[in-house]
Amino acid sequence: MNPATQVFLAALVTAVATGLGALPFLVVRSMSPRVVAYAYALAGGLMLGACFGLVAAGTEFGATQTVLGGLIGVIGILIAQWRLKDRPIVFGGADVASARQMVLLLGVMTAHSFSEGVAVGVSFGGGEALALAITVAIAVHNIPEGLAISAVMRSKGQSVPACAAWSVFSSLPQPLMAVPAFLLVDWARPVLPYGLGFAAGAMAFMVLDELLPEAYVRGNHTTVALLTSVAIIAMVLFQHAL
Amino acid sequence: MAALGALPLQSGRAVPRRTIGWATALAAGLMIGVAYALMTVALDRGAIQSGVGALAGIAGVAAARARLHAGNAFQLGSVHAIPEGAAIGGAMAVSVPFGLMMAATLAVHNIPEGTVTIASLRPARGLGMSTLLAVVANVNQIVFGIAAFAAVQAAPALLPWLLGFSVGALLHLVFAELLPASYQAAGRTSIALVTIVAVAIVVLLHDGAS
Repeated sequence: MNPATQVFLAALVTAVATGLGALPFLVVRSMSPRVVAYAYALAGGLMLGACFGLVAAGTEFGATQTVLGGLIGVIGILIAQWRLKDRPIVFGGADVASARQMVLLLGVMTAHSFSEGVAVGVSFGGGEALALAITVAIAVHNIPEGLAISAVMRSKGQSVPACAAWSVFSSLPQPLMAVPAFLLVDWARPVLPYGLGFAAGAMAFMVLDELLPEAYVRGNHTTVALLTSVAIIAMVLFQHAL
Repeated sequence: MAALGALPLQSGRAVPRRTIGWATALAAGLMIGVAYALMTVALDRGAIQSGVGALAGIAGVAAARARLHAGNAFQLGSVHAIPEGAAIGGAMAVSVPFGLMMAATLAVHNIPEGTVTIASLRPARGLGMSTLLAVVANVNQIVFGIAAFAAVQAAPALLPWLLGFSVGALLHLVFAELLPASYQAAGRTSIALVTIVAVAIVVLLHDGAS
């Protein structure tokens, strides 16, 4: 098989895996405010857990650069929030506020996939690329990220197939970035901590500014806290095991 | 250090709610940063042990909170001091620089936490007594720090469990108490910013200490 076809198939597998995160919502039927609160807490915990991993990976290349990247990520979201503020956004038939939040979340998660793609390319750059191992690792890693996206989008009344499709979309930059980063590893390595930090800053800000405050308003504080903290630990362990 | 938390309250005027919110978010961010640093260290020493320890820490704090009277700042302060002490003791066992970094971070975190505790106790107890109580609530930290250090010295295999326990307990405290309280006091965006900056400071300190 020629390398381009292999990359394409790997891309397909990892991206489709993200869509698996939507599957639990085939079982969860009702979306009462309380269920929405807990879905947000789950999404927030998974995203914060992912931030732990991003920061840990980034500091191996440079802690200062990672933190600077994080601040740029926060500023980036603030600008995006401000730009989206008074626009009549149309998305999935949802009201403007919900549409704005979904667009923001998808933007954040898609941007974070760029950095993760670069990280994968760099970590295998120079060494023998074990295509199957890389593919499986990214694919499994993507499932809880799809779960986070689906938890928010399903809460906004989107269908399960739509949640799955947007989850897949958010992961497409990963394989697209992994290939050039792998080929241009000397160029990609110094940029990587900024990128990982950017992804972590953007995700953490999205969680702390949007998802958690809304979870606390709608649900019981203790339950939100339990879901968030357990989701963080689960995500950290899950990523560590891969 | 908790006594220093009384300084912003010296003027005798009521503290603006926003300031209390930001102080709480600062304490929360430092705790998340500490949890991050402890977790990176714990995972290398046993992922399963640290994971189970973390779940035990979450469960422990959840159980302790369920038994306490809501809003008793003194009791809550004491509950906080247990995982913080365990964190310092465990970190000292990992390495002296890491332990000192952890102790310094948690000491700084005690200042805004002290402000919040003292501000909530003051109407009933007066400034002097509240400050004393805020300090007493943190004495646990020393006791548990020494106990944790001694336990890990005697049985090094306990270390990932202990570090994991602190991580879970600290995170659960942040999400059950500090963050919801700070959102109510100061709105979401400023709280998110203060929290993230506090985490970033610990990430840089942790890198410097390792």
